[in-house]
Amino acid sequence: MNAHDEDRIKQVLKRSLPQVEDEAEPVRDLWPAMLRRLDASSVAPSLSLVPWFDWALLAGLAGLAAFFPASIPVLLYYL
Amino acid sequence: MNTHPYLRAYLAGIFVPTFVLPLLLTFVVVRLVFQVPIPVEQALIFPMACVPLLWGLWNMLWLWSSPRTHMPIGLHGAVLPLLLMPMGALLATSAGLLEIGARGVTWFHACQVPYALIVPLFLAALAGYYLVWKYVVGFVNRALGIA
Repeated sequence: MNAHDEDRIKQVLKRSLPQVEDEAEPVRDLWPAMLRRLDASSVAPSLSLVPWFDWALLAGLAGLAAFFPASIPVLLYYL
Repeated sequence: MNTHPYLRAYLAGIFVPTFVLPLLLTFVVVRLVFQVPIPVEQALIFPMACVPLLWGLWNMLWLWSSPRTHMPIGLHGAVLPLLLMPMGALLATSAGLLEIGARGVTWFHACQVPYALIVPLFLAALAGYYLVWKYVVGFVNRALGIA
C-alpha cells in the first residue's frame, strides 16, 4: 500500500463517516445516570428484592432458635 | 478474572464456614474459662475439617453443573445437608458426641433433642442452607465473577 492508497482510504473514510458537529456536548450531564446504572448492577442484592418466602424461612429459623435454643449448637455444628 | 474459575468457586464456597469457625472457637474459650464439661474440641473436628472442604467442593460442583442443569444456587445448597447431616451424625456418634437414647438424642453431652424435633431441625438446616447459599455464597460468587 503506497501513500496514494492511504490518502484515498482516508478520503473514503471521511466521506463515509458522519460529520461531528463542533458543539458535540450532550444536552445534560450523563454522569448521574451512569452512577445509577452502576448502583443497579451492583452484586449486593437489595432487601426489597428478597421474596416473602425467604423472609418466612428466616422467621421460621429464628423461631426455632428462640423456642429451642439447644438447636443452635447443633445447627452450628453443620456450618 | 477469567482464569481459574474452579479455584474461585472453591474459595467462595469456604467463605461461610471459615467465618463461622471463630464463632465456634468462642465455645472453646468458654469451656476453658468456665471449665464447662463439654468436649468442644472433639466437636470442632467436623466443622473445621469436613464442612469447609465440602462447601468448597459443592460450589465447584455447582459451577460445573449449572450450565447444564440451570439449578438455582439456593436449591443446590439446600441439597448439601442431605450429604452433610448423615456424615456429621456418623462422625459425632463415633467420637462420642452424639448419644442415641430412648426418647431422643443427646448432642455434646448437653443438648437433648427429642425425636419429635429431629425432623424440624432437619428442615431448619435445609432452610438455613438454602438462604445462606442463595444470598451469601451467591453474592461471593458474583463478587468473584463466577456467577
